[in-house]
Amino acid sequence: MSLERFLSQVVPVRQKLYRFAYRLLGNEEDAQDITQDALMKVWDQQEKMADLQNAEAWCMRITRNLALDKLKSRKYRRHDDLDHAGELPAQHQQNPHAMSEQNDVMKKVHATIHALPEKYRTILQLRDIDGHSYQEIAEILDLDMNEVKVNLHRARKAVREKLQNLQVYGL
Amino acid sequence: MDYKLISGLVEKYWEGETSLEEEAILREFFSTPHTALPPDLEEAAPLFSYLHTEAVREVVWPGEETKVVKLSPVQHWMKYAAMLLMALGLGYGLQHRGERAEITETRITAQHMEDDPRYALEETKKALRLLAKNLNKGTTQMQKLSYFNDATEVIEGK
Repeated sequence: MSLERFLSQVVPVRQKLYRFAYRLLGNEEDAQDITQDALMKVWDQQEKMADLQNAEAWCMRITRNLALDKLKSRKYRRHDDLDHAGELPAQHQQNPHAMSEQNDVMKKVHATIHALPEKYRTILQLRDIDGHSYQEIAEILDLDMNEVKVNLHRARKAVREKLQNLQVYGL
Repeated sequence: MDYKLISGLVEKYWEGETSLEEEAILREFFSTPHTALPPDLEEAAPLFSYLHTEAVREVVWPGEETKVVKLSPVQHWMKYAAMLLMALGLGYGLQHRGERAEITETRITAQHMEDDPRYALEETKKALRLLAKNLNKGTTQMQKLSYFNDATEVIEGK
């Protein structure tokens, strides 16, 4: 891979990689480190680029693997970004009480999604927040497309059940 | 407001049958507050509101723009210096390897002789034979020299 190719195909994806890493790690600094590491790794494995159909998915897969390695490392303690969820702009809510209530709801939804198993959570985020197609998610996570659909369905079902419990029982 | 279309989409969403466009419609719908929602939409509202907020939230790479720095070969001087040092080290090591082997062999022989007197005797004999073989090698020349000295004395009339 030439430098030009790296600059034209990989560097523009950096923002997406960072966003992805941030979602996985919940921490800006770690997300930056992992994105840098991912870019280095892509450069080191540049000979593989020629055979790839979707370089972006490959870069995201590398980022995910590095982020998961970091999460697994014994030293690493996940920075819980629930506080960030509390900072979500409560649009159209001028009333402080309503804003506070809205933030509370957002935190609960955030916690519900983050309580999902990593695979479910990642698929849900890639689809429902980032708007990736099933095919793209399958390539990013190196899964079969049907597996993506099944896992997404299970993830949504789990979130729905949890939210129903929250709404009905306040659990 | 007729929520039938949205209710249908929400149902499809829970079943995992919505397209990306339909999911975008749902997120857009729930991004603004609605009054008197039916229970199925009320249930889905917090999730879609959250998904919308996360989708539009700016997570921006804070780093600077990527700068490509091209290094000239001269700037790789440390690499070449390391290679040179390694070559010198290897050369020095190989040069002294033969000497070390010789010294080690001598030490092993000496140790062997100390441990085994018969071996020591054989080695001594070998050494003496070598000495004896070379001992009389110069006598013929010395004899010629002696004749020369005698002749010189006769000529000088001593």
